[in-house]
Amino acid sequence: MGEAGKGEKRVDYMNLPCPLPFEEIQREALMSLKPELFEGLRFDFTKGLNHKFSLSHSIFMGSTEVPSQSKDTIKIPTAHYEFGANFLDPKLMLVGRVLTDGRLNARVKCDLTDNLTLKINAQLTNEPHFSQGMFNFDYKGSDYRTQFQIGNNAFYGANYIQSVTPHLSLGSEVFWLGHQRKSGIGFAARYNKDKMVATGQIASTGIVALSYVQKVTEQGSLASDFMYNHMTGDVTSSFGYDYIFRQCRLRGKIDSNGVVAAFLEERLNMGVNFILSAEIDHLKKDYKFGFGMTLGE
Amino acid sequence: MSSSLSRRGRGEGEGEGVLGPISRSPIVVRGREAAAEAATVAKKLLRSTGKAAWIAGTTFLVLFVPLIIEMDREQQLNELELQQATLLGGPSPALPPPPPSK
Repeated sequence: MGEAGKGEKRVDYMNLPCPLPFEEIQREALMSLKPELFEGLRFDFTKGLNHKFSLSHSIFMGSTEVPSQSKDTIKIPTAHYEFGANFLDPKLMLVGRVLTDGRLNARVKCDLTDNLTLKINAQLTNEPHFSQGMFNFDYKGSDYRTQFQIGNNAFYGANYIQSVTPHLSLGSEVFWLGHQRKSGIGFAARYNKDKMVATGQIASTGIVALSYVQKVTEQGSLASDFMYNHMTGDVTSSFGYDYIFRQCRLRGKIDSNGVVAAFLEERLNMGVNFILSAEIDHLKKDYKFGFGMTLGE
Repeated sequence: MSSSLSRRGRGEGEGEGVLGPISRSPIVVRGREAAAEAATVAKKLLRSTGKAAWIAGTTFLVLFVPLIIEMDREQQLNELELQQATLLGGPSPALPPPPPSK
């Protein structure tokens, strides 16, 4: 206690906090800089039948982009209805979604023991050879986490992340793709203080990704992100802000590809949210605007 | 345009003997070319300024106008609450729960 009064605590290396999972290492930057932008109308309705079970209905009408070889973007107007069911228990979570264009998503998260978690992620489609499934086994230790993944197409992956100081955690991952006989290794680091988070990731697939998030006021934070792909020579950098007010959440970002985007979620009433999404691509002259509503808790 | 002027000058005969050679002199020709180039540069400058103004204007509209509007609303809400707190003289009204953050 006397040492804490001096303003400097001795670091207890035996009692480090548990780090974030490896795939969530860039969580703050991803949440601020990559909102779910859409074009068209989106309507979600969630109805709770029980305190554990809920159903959701969702409608989307708008254009989706089809990747094309030429410089022009091809937009195809699509519309679909999605029905979903969620079961939430402290130890078991089941989420299923069915869409009218023939896709089925399922997610299972099960706590087998206090420290061991099983996650299953599956996506089935009408088109042959496009379905995917992935099994994840997560083990959480006192100051480390490790995960083992098995996916279809003979995909095997493993990652490990460890806290080395109360603010810094380092991790690494390896993966192996059976069908293409490709393997890769990657390293990641995350430095976390009260008001800032800095992360870096480098992988043998030739990707370097850095991010930095700083909380400037109690309502808003700024984020920046840098990604370099050695294989294709792409370099992308983006800057954005994320403001959380009492009635709304506003995220905006500007990119080095000349893309400006904004995403607003505003609370009109208890359980009624209004969503606006805007994306302007100045170089390709592509403009996408969407609006929607979300009902339900 | 300059060729038709000089043709007219020559067609009129010796009455235009002063203006014809002047308009064909190198200084005047160079001056005319410089004016044409200046007009081209000014047109390009105007077009690129217009493009820059469009990009700056739409970017400001998408990125900052919603932020200004929301900050203004937040400030108004705070002032209203402060007013109500001082009017009632009691504890300030309970804050509504924060919006969902996905």
